[in-house]
Amino acid sequence: MSRQRSMEAILASEFVTIGELVRLTDSRYSTLKFYTEEGMLPFTQAEENLTRRYKREETIARIHFIKELRASGLSIPQIKEALNKGQ
Amino acid sequence: MTDLQLAQSFSMMALNAQRSLEMTTAKKMALRCIAAAVILEVYLDKGFTQSKNQLALKKDVLEQSHTMLYQEIILKSLARRNAKKSWDLKDWLKRASKLSGSKLKSLERAVSDSLKELGLLEEIPHLLGCDLYFHSAGVSIKGYRSDIQEYSRISEGIRAEILEDGPVTDETICMLWLLRESGCMHDLFSRNELDIVSARMYKLYQGSPLAKALYPIRIHRGIELATKQFLRMKKEVVRTQVGSGLNFLFPILERSQAVFIDMEAMFSNPAARLHDVKQRLESKGHTVTVLKEGQIPTIKIDNIVYEAIPHAIYGRVPIHGVRLIPKPLF
Repeated sequence: MSRQRSMEAILASEFVTIGELVRLTDSRYSTLKFYTEEGMLPFTQAEENLTRRYKREETIARIHFIKELRASGLSIPQIKEALNKGQ
Repeated sequence: MTDLQLAQSFSMMALNAQRSLEMTTAKKMALRCIAAAVILEVYLDKGFTQSKNQLALKKDVLEQSHTMLYQEIILKSLARRNAKKSWDLKDWLKRASKLSGSKLKSLERAVSDSLKELGLLEEIPHLLGCDLYFHSAGVSIKGYRSDIQEYSRISEGIRAEILEDGPVTDETICMLWLLRESGCMHDLFSRNELDIVSARMYKLYQGSPLAKALYPIRIHRGIELATKQFLRMKKEVVRTQVGSGLNFLFPILERSQAVFIDMEAMFSNPAARLHDVKQRLESKGHTVTVLKEGQIPTIKIDNIVYEAIPHAIYGRVPIHGVRLIPKPLF
């Protein structure tokens, strides 16, 4: 049996799943999935069909940054450009 | 952020927008499943000793200081009523779901109190109270509202786990079963997504011992589920360019799904209509977020998204207003 990780355990780990990112950032799953597919959220995946794992701190900061840019009125292509420049 | 127990998480989903003072069919279904969720919660926390298929409640479960009142209500009721206290999982779940109405009411009080203490559930005037007939008659109807952030955290977490490839946790396996048995699947998943969920549940059934034990169990009552499904189905029957639902034709069938809000002026423009609707809803304590403006605005009232469709009712004089129809997930 695999149990859901407590918030304490999630906050202590280096990598998180997309479901845990949803809980941590109050974002919609479909939004994060879209960002991932657009290459805005880097992830690692051991093999195809295995869970995508995101670096917790880095990804949370990135999501907050994307949200800020969205709030300031930037479109997705503009945000992608801004993210690429920042890398 | 709080780590909720399984029964609490499910209650956040199942009690949201239910009427708090009356025992409606939908609420009874939800409470039966909350009772089953309590058993699953104890099962996941290893509160049962297992020999072959038989589960017996560990003696110390009810003596622990962190035992919640809602757990006590269910476990004590089951333990008291029967000398034999060892059943398989199916029997535990069925017995929990068949508890009397008064026990279900106590469960509702206990579980809602536990969530209220955490600030995750509140009782507000029910949306139906905003309807012209109820509003003008001064009838007060109360309903539950789950904390919007936590509700979305739970629902989006489940969606992410099941719609994404990869392992599924025991909590989500149980949640999916509870959502299926309480008839709440459609609240979370669109029709297309339901196909994916169904395929994933079948895979889980083949691969996970918990899902294999749980998914064949049925605790819903046919007549209750049929009532709930009928009320949902009639929304889908009539679909026009300006909206959907048989509710347009027979709103009396389920008025809470077709609330009519009257306007100050006749033939008011979209902006004035939206303003009047917002004002009425906010005066009754609802949180209103406008998602899309225009002829037919889309508005999120508490945790549910509605379309505000211009409509008129005809008595001695015509009254112009809008009907709030829940927006279906596609």
